[in-house]
Amino acid sequence: MRKRTLNRGLAGFWWLTLAFLYLPLAVVVLFSFNSVNSAAHFADVSLRWYHQLLGNEQILSAFRNSLILAIVSSVIALVIGCLIGYGMYRHRHRKLGWLIVLIYLPIVLPDIVFGISEMAFFVQINRATGLLEPGLGTMIIAHVTFQIPFVALIVYSRFVGLDPTLFEAAKDLYASPFKRALHFLIPTLKPALISAFFLSFTLSIDDFVISFFTAGPESATLPIYIWGAIKKGVTPEINAIASLMIGAVLLAALVSLLFNRPRRR
Amino acid sequence: MSDSTPAVTREAAETAAADGGAPPREASSIRLEGLHKRFGRDTVALDGVDLTIEAGEFFTLLGPSGCGKTTLLRILAGLEEPNDGRLLIGGRDVTDTPPHRRSVNTVFQSYALFPHLSVRDNLAFGLRMRGESAAERERKVAEVAEFIQLGSLVERRVDQLSGGQKQRIALARALVCEPDVLLLDEPLSALDAGLRSQLQVELQRLQKRLGMTFVFVTHDQDEAMVMSDRIAVLDGGVIQQVGTPSEVYEHPANAFVARFMGHDNLFAITAVDGDRVETRLGRLRLDPAEQRAESDGWLLIRPETLVLGDTLPAGYNRLEGTVEERLYRGSRIEYRLAVNGQPLMVVASNLGQRMHAVGDRVVIGVCPEDLVRVAA
Repeated sequence: MRKRTLNRGLAGFWWLTLAFLYLPLAVVVLFSFNSVNSAAHFADVSLRWYHQLLGNEQILSAFRNSLILAIVSSVIALVIGCLIGYGMYRHRHRKLGWLIVLIYLPIVLPDIVFGISEMAFFVQINRATGLLEPGLGTMIIAHVTFQIPFVALIVYSRFVGLDPTLFEAAKDLYASPFKRALHFLIPTLKPALISAFFLSFTLSIDDFVISFFTAGPESATLPIYIWGAIKKGVTPEINAIASLMIGAVLLAALVSLLFNRPRRR
Repeated sequence: MSDSTPAVTREAAETAAADGGAPPREASSIRLEGLHKRFGRDTVALDGVDLTIEAGEFFTLLGPSGCGKTTLLRILAGLEEPNDGRLLIGGRDVTDTPPHRRSVNTVFQSYALFPHLSVRDNLAFGLRMRGESAAERERKVAEVAEFIQLGSLVERRVDQLSGGQKQRIALARALVCEPDVLLLDEPLSALDAGLRSQLQVELQRLQKRLGMTFVFVTHDQDEAMVMSDRIAVLDGGVIQQVGTPSEVYEHPANAFVARFMGHDNLFAITAVDGDRVETRLGRLRLDPAEQRAESDGWLLIRPETLVLGDTLPAGYNRLEGTVEERLYRGSRIEYRLAVNGQPLMVVASNLGQRMHAVGDRVVIGVCPEDLVRVAA
């Protein structure tokens, strides 16, 4: 009897947690379809705000910036992160203590600290050399730096899960170092690479704090635009952007998950 | 027996011709000269190995784990570099040749099939890396799949195969490249006993048919004896003995080889008097061929050469003992006897005679020709 009460209580707690997690999202999505400009009263279903989005040059430019930033930074992070992940695997038997900490640190460092330091650093370089004018370039560099550890860890863990003799079998079967990369490493890593790319993509689209500190006047991304717009009050237009972003991130996260699932035996 | 190796190659060629199978391929001999291999500062894996493996030989590296046999195999494959010494395959120095440029293929203990490829693409991998045309690859893969009777599996994914199937695919993947030398790293150790003995016979037949040089690594002396033309017994990174299975089994070079080949009846020699040696079992007469003046080393008595019974053939040594333990094994019966307080194993064929019971007093006949002196 007591066990059943406990189970019911736990189930209720579970549903409550889910509600707090997802109801706010549902509210945003619902009100993005509201036909009137109100955050309290839902009148009718309409695509009015989505239409308005498409006409807003600032939003479209922010969307474009977000996309370019996410794609370019993810590609660069993928290449560098892969090399680091492979290096970590190759030298896994050595003591890598402090090096591993250096790679992990960006994951645990607060974004705000990371963002401010990046900004200060870019300003110094800009003042000294005239290079690295704040804009998409600096944002890409900043994003790559926080994406790399995630890529490296995904690639590394995939390597660790492989039978080490596979590397030797490839050598034994006449594969030169280049052919080993092309016909063994890359195909074997493909799921991990796709997964890492989409995770990086999601992290980039999602990021506000670091983008905010490293952006230039012309390179506002969607989160930065929303931050600016919200100061004038939440409009249903913001709800529409938020809904689109939820959709995009869910999709990317789903793809990432699908490809990083352990293979069935 | 010691010059039996060239005959082996001839035999292989004749067998191949008689089978109507493939003509013997260009097999390569292997020469190892003064190979040394250390790991880190003080782990010595190979401590000066000199060895010649004839072309077309089924050669086994036998020893306990950590004896250096796998390191030796990996040096042959090019996966490990020796610190010192030379390696010649087919007369050519390949000590510094990377593995992908050696005409050597390996069947790995874990099979090492590529999980991202189908069975067909696994089989074709080596050919593809060597740059053979798609048509050529197709033909050879179909041929080898037919050869190992796994043609129906080529479309499968590697994770859909059983252990025995994986083993065959790994073998076929190496064979299809037609290397000069095939290396096999305990390829049967993961299989159950039945499949294992079946594949032992198959592998040995296959090698004879192809006439390819096989270097086989195992820690199982029965497997080594069944399959090999010659065996090298290793311990501590040093070759203890090289010889045919019967040489190694019947005339072990030292006490380590004798124990490793499964011999329990080893008795320290305390004194020598002409053709007689003194051991804790008693005084035993040897065959003149085994006579040596030194009063050291061990006397090996193979348990299957001993005779139990009251009437012994003329010239036999006579011992008396008590049955301490009896193991009934169907085709044979194993007795553990106590002779002068020393344990002595006897294996008797089950010929339907009266079995001796625990506690029985028995007379043991030891033929002088079956006694072997073994160095310390």
